[in-house]
Amino acid sequence: MNALTISTAITTGRVELVNTRQRSLFTARFRVLWVVALFALIAIVALMRIAYIGVVQPGPAHTSMAEALLPPRGEITDRNGVPLARAFPAYALWFNPTALGDGGAPLVKTPAEVAAQLVQIFPDMDAKWLARRLASGKAGYLRRRVLPEEANRVQAIGELALEVPREADRHYPQGTMAAHVLGYVGADGHGRVGMEAVLDKQLLDPAQRGKPAMLSIDSRVQGALEDELRRGMLAVDAVGAAGLVLDVDTGEVMALASLPEFDPNKIDVAGEKNMFNRVTNQVYELGSTFKPLTMAAAIDAGVVTDLSRRYQSARPLEMGGFRIRDSHVMGPTLNVPEALIHSSNIVTAQVADELGGKALQRYMTDLGMHERPYIELPARGFPIWHKGDWPRLRTMTVSYGHGIAVTPLHLASAYATMVNGGIWRPATLYKVEPGHAAKGRRVFKASTSARMNQLMRMIAVYGTGKSADAPGFRVGGKTGSAEKPGVGGYRRSSLVSTFAAAFPMDRPRYVVIAMLDEPKGTAASSYQRTAAWNAAPIVGRLVPRIGPLLGVMPDENHDIDLTDLAPLVGGKKE
Amino acid sequence: MSRSVIPAPIAQLPWRVIIPLVGLTTFGAAVLYSAAAGSMSPFAGSHLLRFAIFMTMALVMTRIPRDLVHWAAYPAYVGVLLLLMAVEALGAIGGGSQRWLNLGPIVLQPSELMKPTIVLVLASFYNSLPPGEVGSWRSIVPAGVLIGLPMALVLLQPDLGTALAIGFGGVVIIFLAGLPMRWFVGGGLLAAVVAPLAYFFALHDYQRRRVTTFLDPESDPLGAGYHITQSKIAIGSGGIFGKGFGNGSQSHLNYLPEPHTDFVFATMAEEWGLAGGLAVLLVFGVILRWGWSVARRAPDRFSSLLAAGMTSTIFFYVAINLMMVMGLAPVVGIPLPFMSHGGSSMMTNMICIGTLMMVDRWSRQGKNSLS
Repeated sequence: MNALTISTAITTGRVELVNTRQRSLFTARFRVLWVVALFALIAIVALMRIAYIGVVQPGPAHTSMAEALLPPRGEITDRNGVPLARAFPAYALWFNPTALGDGGAPLVKTPAEVAAQLVQIFPDMDAKWLARRLASGKAGYLRRRVLPEEANRVQAIGELALEVPREADRHYPQGTMAAHVLGYVGADGHGRVGMEAVLDKQLLDPAQRGKPAMLSIDSRVQGALEDELRRGMLAVDAVGAAGLVLDVDTGEVMALASLPEFDPNKIDVAGEKNMFNRVTNQVYELGSTFKPLTMAAAIDAGVVTDLSRRYQSARPLEMGGFRIRDSHVMGPTLNVPEALIHSSNIVTAQVADELGGKALQRYMTDLGMHERPYIELPARGFPIWHKGDWPRLRTMTVSYGHGIAVTPLHLASAYATMVNGGIWRPATLYKVEPGHAAKGRRVFKASTSARMNQLMRMIAVYGTGKSADAPGFRVGGKTGSAEKPGVGGYRRSSLVSTFAAAFPMDRPRYVVIAMLDEPKGTAASSYQRTAAWNAAPIVGRLVPRIGPLLGVMPDENHDIDLTDLAPLVGGKKE
Repeated sequence: MSRSVIPAPIAQLPWRVIIPLVGLTTFGAAVLYSAAAGSMSPFAGSHLLRFAIFMTMALVMTRIPRDLVHWAAYPAYVGVLLLLMAVEALGAIGGGSQRWLNLGPIVLQPSELMKPTIVLVLASFYNSLPPGEVGSWRSIVPAGVLIGLPMALVLLQPDLGTALAIGFGGVVIIFLAGLPMRWFVGGGLLAAVVAPLAYFFALHDYQRRRVTTFLDPESDPLGAGYHITQSKIAIGSGGIFGKGFGNGSQSHLNYLPEPHTDFVFATMAEEWGLAGGLAVLLVFGVILRWGWSVARRAPDRFSSLLAAGMTSTIFFYVAINLMMVMGLAPVVGIPLPFMSHGGSSMMTNMICIGTLMMVDRWSRQGKNSLS
C-alpha cells in the first residue's frame, strides 16, 4: 500500500515532469519558428528595399561632362549667327543665416559692421537697410547681381552667412535691340513675351541647347529699322511706332520693331509697360494702305478691266446717312491709277461697290485678315472683322481701310502677297533655308500682281509716297492716315500714319511697313500729320540703309516699266 | 564516405558553410580591392589574411569538447566583463572614451568579445535552470543582470550599436529559452514607452541627430543625413547590373563615407548592382540557414541555445548593417560580417561561426556514439 502510494507519487511526478518537458519542447519549437519568421520578415523587407532603391527609385540626375560644358540656356542668334541672347554666368549675394550651423547668431561680427563693409563694396546700397536685413535673420537675396571682383571682396569679409551663389543669367548683347522679338527670361528661368517664351523648351533641352536657335531677324536691318523708326517717331512726337521688314518670297521677318521698347537686360515697371507689341498684337484701322488691296481684288476679279475708266470724284458718296468724302476735291473724275496716287476714298468705294461685299470679303479672308496673324510670337492680336455678309457700306469702308482693324503684320503679309506674284505665305521668325519656304496659297493672279507692282511704283513716283522714293531702290508704296476711333466717333486730331512699301518694284524682294501712332504736326513734318509727311520719309531713309545689306543695290538704270500707265496720270514723268 | 579519396577529417569539415563563407569573404575582398582604387593594400590583403587566421581559429575551436565549453561559460563571462571594466578604467585615466585594449601585438575590443560571450553564458544559465522554473522570476532576473552589466559598460564607452547587439543576442536566447510570451509583450510595450524617454534624456546629441536623420534623411542631406543619402545614391545608381568592377564613382570619389567598413554594401551595390546585392543576401541566407539547422540538430538544450544565439548575433550584424545602408535604420556603427574591413568584427563573427561548427561536431559525435 505504502509502496504503491510512493510509486504513484513518483509516477505522478514523472508524468508532470514529462508533461513539462514536452510543453517546453513545444514552446521551444514555436519560439524558434517565431525568430525564424522575424528573420525572414526582415530579409524580405531588405530585399524589397534594395529592389526599390535599385530599380524604382530614380537615380541621381547624371550630368555628363559634355552637358556641364553646355550653356545653361541655349543662345539665340540672328540669321547670320550674331548672338542676340546668350547665357551669362553671374553671381548673386545671398544671406544664409544658418551657414554657421551652430544655431547661434548668423554673423560673427555685428550686423552694423558687416553692413558697413558691404556698403564699401557696393556704395549704392543703404547701410541701414542692410543692417536691418542682416539683423532680421531671414534668408534671402541682398543683391541680385554681383561682379566677380565684388564677389571676391564679399568673400574677404569672412562671414560665412554671406554667400555668393553662381547663377545663370541671360545677357542681350545688343541691348534693347529686337526686345519684342526676343522677350526676356524671368526669375524662374523661363522665357517671357517673345521667342524666349516660344523656344523655352528647346533652349533648356540638353540635347538641343548646345546649338544656337537661329532667327530670321537680320540684326543689321533690325538696328537700321529701329534707328529710323525712333528718329521718325521723335521728330513728330508720336506716342509709338511700329515697323517691320518682310521677305516677300519666304515670309521671313527680317526686322520687327515696336517702339517705345524695353530693355530685356533690365526688366522694370517702365519696361513692362512697353512689352506690348504694336506689330503683332495691336490692331489698327490702317486706312488708305488698304486701297491697293481693294484695287488688286477688283483687277483680279475682272471688275476693273480698263485702267483708263473714270469714276466720279467730285461729290461725296451718300450711303445710309454716312458720307464718304475725300480730304480734298481732286477733280471731277479719276481713273484707278489716279485714285491710288491721290488716295481717293470716293473712287475706291465705288470700285469696291462694283466688286461687291462677298468678293472683297473673300479676298480679305484669303489674305488672312479675318484671323490672328501667322507668326511664332505668343502675343498676336485678333482683327476687328465683321462676320457674316458685309453690307454695302461696310464693303465701301473696308475698301479704304476703315471698319476693319488689323495688325501691321497682317498688312505686311497682304502686301507681300500682292507684290510677290500673288502667293500668301505665313510670316515666320525662324530662318528659312533656301528652297524650304512655305508653299502658301494663291490669292492673286500673277498678272494682277504685275499690274499692282506698276501701280505701287506709280504712287511713289507721282503720288503721296514721293518722299519714300529712295533714288535707285525702285520703292513702291502706299500711305495711310487713319483717324483713331475714340469716344463718340473718330478723333480728327489723333491719327495712325502708315506707309506700306515694297522694293525693288521691278522684282519685289521686301515689304517694309512703317507706322506712327498719334504723330503731331511738327516742323520736321511741315506741320502735317499725314503719312506722306512722317511715315513715308522713314521708309525713304530706311531703304537705302537696308537695301545693300539685303542684296538690293541701288540702280538708276533699272526700274519697273511704267510706260503703258504713265499717260493715264498725265505722264508727269518724262 | 570513408572509402573516398578525401581523408575523413577533411571530408567531415562543414563544407556547407565554409564554401559560402570563403566565397563571401573573397567577394568582400574584391570590393575592398576596388574601394582602395584597385589595390590589395590597405584593405583587401589584410582582410583575406585575417579571414585565414580566424578561419583557422574557428577550425581549432571545433575541437573543443562540450563539457569544457559548458564549464568555461561563467569564467569567460567574468573575464570579458573585467576587460570591459579595464577599458572603462583606462579611458577614465587616459581621459576621453576608449574602446580598445592595447595588448602589445593585438588591439582588443572587449565589447566585441562580449557578443558571443553573452550568448554562451545565457545558454549555460538556461541549461542549468530547471524547466519548471521557466515561468518564475528566477528565470529572468539573473539573466537581466547578466545582460545589463555589459550593456551598461558598453553604453558608457559610448557604443550604442554594440550595446544593442549584446542586448539583442541576450533577448533572443531568453526568448528561445521559452519564457512566458506575456513578458515579451510587456517588455515590448515598456520599450515603446522608454524609447522616447531615452531619446530625450539618455542619448547623446549626435546619436539623437542620427535618429531624426534616419526618419528624414533629406532634411539635412549635407549634414547628418549625408551618410544615408550618399549610400542610397550609391545603391540606386548601380541599377540592376551595376557600373562594373572598379567603376564606382560614389566610393572612388569619396562621396560615400566609410566605403570599406560600414558602407561596404553600398560600395558593392554600386559596382555590382541589384544582382550583386541579391547574391550577397542569398549567401547570408545560406549561412544563416545552416546556423539554424545546426541549432535544430543540436543534441541538448545548451548547445541548441548556443547555436541559435550565435546565428542570431550574425543575423543582427547583417540585418542592422543592411537596413542602415538602405536607409531603414539609423546609422549605428555596425559593419557587415565577412565583407567589411575590420579585425574585431571579423573575430566576433568567426567566433560565432566556430561555435556553430563546434556544436555541429557535437551533434555528429552524439549520433556516432549512439549508433
